[in-house]
This record gives sequence, C-alpha cells and structure tokens, in this order.
Amino acid sequence: MAAAGVFSSTLRDQRRGLVAWSIGVALTVVVMAAIWPSFADMDIAKLLAEYPQAMKDLFDVGGMSTGTGYLNAELFSLMLPAIFIIYGVSRGARLIAGEEEDGTLEVLATMPISRTGILCQKCAALMLDVAVLAVVLFLATWLSSAMFGLDIAVLDSARGAIAMGFIGVEFGLVALALSAATGRRTLAVGVSAGLAGASYLIYLVAQLIESLRPLRVVSPFYQAISRGPIGPVLPPIAWVMVAVGLICFAWSIVVFRSRDLGG
Amino acid sequence: MNDTEPPTSTAPGSVQPAGHSVVGRSAISTSGLSKRYGSLDALKDLDLEVPVGTVFGFLGPNGAGKSTTIRLLMGLLRPSAGSATVLGLDIVHDRRALHLRVGYLPGDFAAYRHLRGQQYLDQLATLRGGVDGHEVAALAERFGLDLGRRVGELSRGNRQKLGIIQAVMHRPELMVFDEPTSGLDPLMQREFLELVRERRQEGRTVFLSSHALTEVEGVADRVAIVREGRLVMTSDVMTLKARARRRIELTFADGAVAPVEQLAGLASVAEVEVVGRTVRLEVEGSMAELLRVAAPWGIDRVISNDMDLEDVFLRYYDEEER
Repeated sequence: MAAAGVFSSTLRDQRRGLVAWSIGVALTVVVMAAIWPSFADMDIAKLLAEYPQAMKDLFDVGGMSTGTGYLNAELFSLMLPAIFIIYGVSRGARLIAGEEEDGTLEVLATMPISRTGILCQKCAALMLDVAVLAVVLFLATWLSSAMFGLDIAVLDSARGAIAMGFIGVEFGLVALALSAATGRRTLAVGVSAGLAGASYLIYLVAQLIESLRPLRVVSPFYQAISRGPIGPVLPPIAWVMVAVGLICFAWSIVVFRSRDLGG
Repeated sequence: MNDTEPPTSTAPGSVQPAGHSVVGRSAISTSGLSKRYGSLDALKDLDLEVPVGTVFGFLGPNGAGKSTTIRLLMGLLRPSAGSATVLGLDIVHDRRALHLRVGYLPGDFAAYRHLRGQQYLDQLATLRGGVDGHEVAALAERFGLDLGRRVGELSRGNRQKLGIIQAVMHRPELMVFDEPTSGLDPLMQREFLELVRERRQEGRTVFLSSHALTEVEGVADRVAIVREGRLVMTSDVMTLKARARRRIELTFADGAVAPVEQLAGLASVAEVEVVGRTVRLEVEGSMAELLRVAAPWGIDRVISNDMDLEDVFLRYYDEEER
C-alpha cells in the first residue's frame, strides 16, 4: 500500500480534470459524427475536385466518402492528436515541476520513498490517464459510428484511439521528463509544445514536398496518422512513439535522482 | 534546566537513549559540508555535531545558510564538498532509510491546497507505511487545528500547524524544523516549544533553526550560529545567555534623581545614556544587580529589548578575531 501511495494520490488529484477532458473528447467525436449523414448526402467528389492536391494528400480527403475516411480527415489528423498532446503535456509538466514550484515536493521528497519511486509512480499515473482518455475516445467513436451510420469497424476504432493514446503518451512523457529533470514547468511545457509543433511541421513539409518524403518517418504525426489512424492496421512504426517517450523518461530518472530540488 | 517537567510516561514508543544504529551518539554529524552555487558559497566547511537526545538551535540571520544546511541534511540538495550523516546514515546514499526515521518541516511549508488537512496527513501516513490515527487527532486537538478544512482555506498559522503535525505524527527519532514558529501566534509558539521539550524527554533529538535567539533559548540545550555560510560558533545556551546583552530603558518617576553614576559603576552594565528622565543601558547577563540598585529610586517604566542575534554573535566574532 505504502509503495503505491504516490500513484494513487496522483490519480486522485487529476480525477476531475480527466473527467472534463473525457467529456470534451466524447462530445467532439459525437458532434462530428452527427454531421456525417448530411455530409454523406453531398456530392463529395465534386466538392473535393476544387481542393489543391496537396490538401487532399495531407488530410486524406480522397477517403472522405467513407465514415472512416471522414473521421480520419476531420478529427484524427490534427484535432485529436492536438488534444491528446495538450492533455499529455499539461499533465506531464505538472507532475514534478508543478509540485516543486508549489513547494509540495519539499515534503514528498522526504518521505521514505526513493525519487525513482516517486517519478515512476507519477509516470504510471500519467500513462493510465492518457489510456483512460483513449478508451473514452474509442467508445465515443464506436458508439457514434453505430448511431450515425459511419460504418466503422470496432477494431478500427480501437486502433485509431490507440494511435492517439500513443502520441499523447509520447509528448506527456517528454514533458514529464523535462519537468523532472529541470523542475521548471513552463520550460517543460514550452519545449514539449515546440517539439510537437516541429513534428507537425516536418510531417507537413514531408507530405507536401516529394523529395523530402522519406523524412516524414521521424515525425510522431506520421507515426500516428499513417495508415489510419482509424483503420485495420496499427503500423509497427507507431510503437516508436512509446519507445521515444520511455527513453526520455529513463534519462530523466538519472537526472532527477541526483539533482538539487528547488526550495 | 528541565528537571521540573513531568515525565511523559504515556508516550508510546519512546526512543531508547542508546540508539541502536547511531554512530558515536550523534544524531547529526557533518564534516566540511559545503554547498556552492556558482561562485557563491551558500555553505562553507560546516563541521557540526548534534548529540542524540538534545534540542539543538541553529541560528543565524536570513540568508546565512540555515535552510541550505537543513536541505542538505534532508537529502534535498547534494553537497558540493564534505559529508554528513543523520542518525548514522549518509545523506547522499542512505536517503530513503534516513527519511523513514526523520520528520521534517520545511521553512516554506506547502501542502496540496485542494485536500483537506486530514486527507493530506492520511496521504503522508500511507507513504510512511501507517501512522497512529489517535496521535494525529491528539496533535490536531492540541494545536487547535480543524483537519476537516481544505488546506487552501487555512490561514498561514494553521498551515504551519499542519506542517508541524506532519513532521512529528510518526514519532520520529529526529525532528528537523526550519523556522518552525514563524506564523504561529505566541500561544501556539509556546505549545510547540512544549511539544519539543516532551519529545526530547522521550530521548528524541530536535534540530530547529531560527533567526532569533529568544525564540529558542527557552528550549534549546545547545545552539550554533551561522553567518554568511560559515559556522561562527557553537555554545551551550546557558553560556550564550549569560553573555548576551540586553538594551534596557529605565524611566524614573517625576522628581526622582536617576542614580546614573551608581548604575554605570555596575559590573553588568556596559553602556549608559541619559535622556531626560530616561536612562538607557546595555546590560550583560543577569539584570538582578541593576534592578536592586535602581528600584529604590522610583521607576515608572522598564523597557527591555534583547539585542539582535546579529549583535550577539558579531561581538563573539570580534572577540574571536582578537
């Protein structure tokens, strides 16, 4: 019991925030799905003919004649990744640096639990939180598909949600790592958000410029979005997101164990 | 000097005076302990021994290095040089074992604002592997703290009480308090010092910092004075008190003639200044002699000010230099 005290109290602390974010994600999906029937009635091919080719590539608008393609283009290409990144980063940055800046870490760090233990439990709580948000996304996608006739397979919905969870976990862990290593929340948020912006830019440029296309594999956006995200396959490259997050986290353990805590 | 206190036989889990793993019977032992920030020496070559079972006052003006020392001892900072053990445990390598046996009140204590006092203490108790609930309730009652209120709603003084409770609730062998009485009203300050005496009586060790000698002189056995990151001196409280000066203002009654000459001639009186009916003096040690001489002349008013700690140890400092 004592060993998991930080984990459970961290979860409890963020319970309310998680509920609010879950409602937000679910509503976003439901509202977007509710528009689908009227969207499907339009002559989409004619509508899209006017779009520049680059836009079509970027948002996979060619696939928008199906419910899967529609949600992929409207939500899973930018909006949902952004939501998951913002959630992950804001939580991750708070977990250590927030406590340090508030002064509450001063007592926590003198409890009979190692700093590694504190950090690992905070990390586990963060990952579980993002996972819960992903499960909510899955349920919302699945249920609204059934309600509004988007015809999305259950497993496909699950894969879309997993990809979003992965990108949230990756940037959440990056923010947590920076937060633990520096003790500065704004720095952790700023750098993580900058990395997310850079990732999107790389993805964007690589999608639009033929010669730079091979570069796109380094972008978490590509890793999350390619072949879906809603779709039959979770590409192996998606796991890179989790791996990168965990590597950053592991580095931060080493720093956090031996650095001075701010007072 | 505390012989008159009743024994606290009711206290559960008294600490054995011969602490099993306390090397050389020092609760805290530092050797050349230093902390440098860039070119600034926050603490320089601190050698300190705090015997088990004593109340140790750690004094100095703000910014002298008190909190730095304490945060080093608690493993929150890493020493730039030197070493220290707390209850025989190394402050860098045995952090976790050390934390199990110590209670700590930070100088700027903060708890989770959204939690109720009880929830906060429960959380810490869980991390400590369980704490006697009756003990917590008794402490809250003693300090008049409502644990049902949210931390964010508590006044500064009440928050400080919460900080004190979390530092003592598990009955640690060593309690480290950084400016514990700040924010407490005089009544609660007294209650706190009483608690400190009781814990010492049980064989526990208390290390507390303060910027004022008067705050700790009633409870501390020994004091150390730091200034600009360096240890100036350690001393028995009795010795220090005897040498501390006080500023006294005696205002004599209308028509009375102030016995200035006689007062100036007393061994304990260092300086005399006369302003109208008022005589200002600096007195070293006991005031008994002074009052015996002055009283028959008809005194209207007596004002006594303890000299700043700074003054006390500046004098020491000067004397050491000579």
